[in-house]
This record gives sequence, structure tokens and C-alpha cells, in this order.
Amino acid sequence: MDCRETQSQLTAFHDGELPAADRARVEEHLRGCPECHLLLADLARADQSAGVPDPGPAYWDRFNARLMDRVEREADGPRVAVLRPKHGWMRQQLRYLLPAAAAAALVVVVVRYGGMHPVAPTPTVPPAVSEPAAPPALANERFATVTREERDRMADRSLPAGIEEASRDRAAAPAAVSVPSPPPMTFPRAPDGQGWPSAGAGRDATGSVAPAAGSPPLTAADEMPSGMQAERKKMGGGASPVEPQLAAKTESASGMRIAKDQSAEAPPAVSLGKTRSKAGPPPIASASPRAASPCELARTLAERERIREAEVAQRECLAGDLSAPSREKGLVFLAELLDRQARFAEADAVITEVDRQFPKSRPLDLYRRHRPMVQKQPAAVPVTR
Amino acid sequence: MGADLGEEKDERLAALAAGGDRGAFDALVTRHRQAVYRLCWSATGNAADADDAAQETFVRVYRSLPSYDPARPFGPWLRKIAWNCGLSVRRAGNAGVPRVAEDDAPEAVDPAPDPEEAAAGNEERRRVAGAMAGLPAELRMVMVLRAVEGLSYGEIALAAGIPAGTVMSRLSRARKRLLAALGGRSGGGS
Repeated sequence: MDCRETQSQLTAFHDGELPAADRARVEEHLRGCPECHLLLADLARADQSAGVPDPGPAYWDRFNARLMDRVEREADGPRVAVLRPKHGWMRQQLRYLLPAAAAAALVVVVVRYGGMHPVAPTPTVPPAVSEPAAPPALANERFATVTREERDRMADRSLPAGIEEASRDRAAAPAAVSVPSPPPMTFPRAPDGQGWPSAGAGRDATGSVAPAAGSPPLTAADEMPSGMQAERKKMGGGASPVEPQLAAKTESASGMRIAKDQSAEAPPAVSLGKTRSKAGPPPIASASPRAASPCELARTLAERERIREAEVAQRECLAGDLSAPSREKGLVFLAELLDRQARFAEADAVITEVDRQFPKSRPLDLYRRHRPMVQKQPAAVPVTR
Repeated sequence: MGADLGEEKDERLAALAAGGDRGAFDALVTRHRQAVYRLCWSATGNAADADDAAQETFVRVYRSLPSYDPARPFGPWLRKIAWNCGLSVRRAGNAGVPRVAEDDAPEAVDPAPDPEEAAAGNEERRRVAGAMAGLPAELRMVMVLRAVEGLSYGEIALAAGIPAGTVMSRLSRARKRLLAALGGRSGGGS
């Protein structure tokens, strides 16, 4: 075997893929040929340089937790998120439909018993009937969780067949509120951070690996159709009294609760990571007139995915006189807004500033965990409109 | 159960996970996450995208477990998903233009600096990572699967969906380019 033939088999020899007979011949040649021996050594050197940078133990420590968090949100979450009253549409409907149902029940009772008694007894009002008068905080606790079966049943009832799943999700809401006699609403509120559509789900379309048959998680689309928005404007004209409470409970992509009190100057709650959906940004109540502070305005704009404007408002918010915790969270929020615009270097600078001003900042720590996902999403969904 | 899971075969763990055993799924992830990450890195050429693709890989695995047939070997199935996820992320991102290793660190995930690593500077490591990142993804893939994971040509061919002969020629080209980038000889076998 000469050098040329040996070198043509050197890769396979090095990789242990040569048949025994060929291997023996190559070995024999190598014993007497320093040139080919050097080439073989080069192959080993190339392999030694073929390492992949390891992210380090801290990365691996968090890997599974981050994954499970994402699995929870993507695989299970959307099924319970569909009826989440984040934007108050259902709540708006219930404000009218529940009293109507109550009135209907009252009429039934009066008609049924009115003839038997000189004075109609006060009917026993189902708990749901009094719901509209419930405090906002109570209203917030409603219909956050609906079983998949219920959701599917409701969606099937009201949906035209063949439309996109986003429309399917949207259609679930009217079906829910069309129930003439709503049972007492005792659904526990889904935990924050659960059940929002994900960029990952969107990537299925481009991946060549098909999701499991029969188990694709449904993607929730929070955006209501424009017709519904118009109707809602007609009905409500603006944010309901309960909406600030809801907004105050939303979390940012980092999972942190940014705003605790609407009346405070604290940076407003924005669920940037969760308000994003393939179908588009979720509408919010016409809160702009109520956005008395830049902080509130930033939240409002961010929820509308008008990220650039939200950033301006947030900067103005931060220019105000904020408490230290509010400033800390507000800066993290600003970093998130910058990430949303793929302005990573500026976000880095803000994060550095948070680090400097607030060592071991928990909001920042939480955001950092989710930051890679936040940074990925601007490419998948336009962040400004 | 947790102690036992570590010794279960992949296929058994996958079947358990498909039945709702989160512990089994966690064990599967722990067992394969680094190999998946490396494969995703070879597809994307940078840490941030590799992280995204690795996470996405396991999300897809989780979703697909109900349709997974335990009679099929788990490793090739997983690698296929990982590679596709890596390519998807690459397509969605910077169209395959690899970022070289200056920013190829997991700061976004774990920004806490590692003093030892930072102190070392690790110029050689960065140079090597840069050389690997500079390879076309297809060459990086075969290099990672062969030199790092130790897979055979047949296994690589299965993961990459290419003939075994192509695996060998890609390995040869990858090694030559690596050696050239590292300032070594670039001759060698076919």
C-alpha cells in the first residue's frame, strides 16, 4: 500500500471504520511512513479541537427547570389560558349577560310563583347573578381555569369549522358567555405564568419534526376579532373598573410581578412575554385615557405591543421620582422592552445598571432566566405596530 | 423511583414519560441535554441559539412522546429532532451566519461571571470555538457527532440523513478546515 492509497483511507482508519484487513494494511504502511503518520496525528489534533463551548454548570443547573417551566406553559398552559380574562372581554360580556340572566331568572320566578302568592317572594338568586356587583378582586378570580373538555365543548359549539386555532380560541369566549344560566363561578384562578402561547409552538410550522399526533397543544390567541373590539367599545367604552386589578396581577416575561398597585408610581405590570401570540397582540381596554402616568402608559403600550412607544414612556416613568423597588423593577422592565426590540446591547447596559444599583436584584435574576426566550421572540412576531 | 430511573434505558424512560411520568422525562433530559446542546450548537454555531434549540428540542420531544414507539431507538430519534430544531432556529435567526465565540457564552442565561474561566482568558479555547463556529453547519455536525459524541459513521448517517460515505467525506473536509483554521497542516486522509 502506497501513501496515496493509505491517505485515502486514513480518515476511516482514524475513525475505526475500516474493515480489519484494510486496517492491517494501513497499519503496516504507517509503521514505515512518518509522513502518513503525521497526517494521522493531525486528524487526532483536529478532533481535539472539535469541542463545543460548554455553557457551564450554572447553565445546566437551570436547564431542566427552565424546560419544565416552558413545557408547563406550552403544553398545558394554552389549554387553560383561553378564557383567561386578561383583557376583560368576557368580563365585559358578563357585566351585561349576567344581569340579563338574573333578570330572566327573576322573571321566571315571578311568573311561576307570582300567581300563587299575593306578593312574590324574593327569589333565591344564584350566586352568579350577583357576580357583576362583586368587587373587582373577586371578579378577577373567575374563569381563569377551564378544563380542556369544557373549552373544546364551548369552542365546538360556537366555531365555524376549519378556521385557525386562534379563531377557535377566540370563539370559545362567546360560547362561554352564551350559557344562559351560568353556574356559580368557582374556577380557581390559573397561576400567573401559566398558559400563554409561545414562540416555540409557532416554530412547529417550520420544524420538520411533526408534533405528536393527537397531542398538539392548542395555541391560545388572546386577540379578539375587530368586530368584537368595536362591539366592546360600544358596550363598555373603556376599561372596566376591574381591569386595573387584572393588569396589576400580570407578570412580565421574567415571571415577576412588576406592578402591585395601580395608584403607585411603580412600573406598570406588563406581560410582554405572554401577551404575544401568533394571532397578534392582545387588545386591551381603551386604557389610554386613564393612563395618567408614564408608568401606566408604558404598561398600556407594551400590552398593545407598541414596544417602542412603551420604551419612551417607561424612560419617562423612570425619570420620575420612584421608590427604590419601583426603580429596580422599572429598569428591568426597560431592559425587557429593549430586548423586545432586539436592542440587546442597550438592554445589557440597563441590566448592568440594575446590577450596579441593585446588587442581587431578584427581578433581574428572574428576568435573566427568561431573557433568551424574550430575545428570540422579536424575530418571530413583530413587536411594534 | 428516582434512583432507578437513572439506570433505565432511554426507550423505557420515554415510555414512562409518555405515560405522564415527569421524573422519567426529567431523567431523559438530564441524560441527553448536553449532547443535544452540542448538536444544536453545531447547527447554529452560537450559544444563545443553541440554548433555544436545545430547549425547543425537548419541548418537541415532550409533545411527541405519545407517538414515540419504544421499539425504535431513542437516540437517533432525539438527535434528529435536535438537528431539525437547530436548523429551524438558525433559519429563523441569522440565516446560518455563525457568530464567533466572543459572545458565545451563556451570559444571557447565567450572567454571573466565572472568575476562573475569565481569569484564564482561555484564548486557545476561544480560538478553537471560533474555528468550529466557522465551519459550515453540516461539517460541524459530523465533527461533533464523531469527535465529541463518538458516534459511528452509520449513526451519524442516520442522524444527518446522509449516506455513510458522505459522512466520511464531510469529516475529512471538516478536519482539514479545522486544521487550517488552527494553523496546522491541512493535508490528510480523504
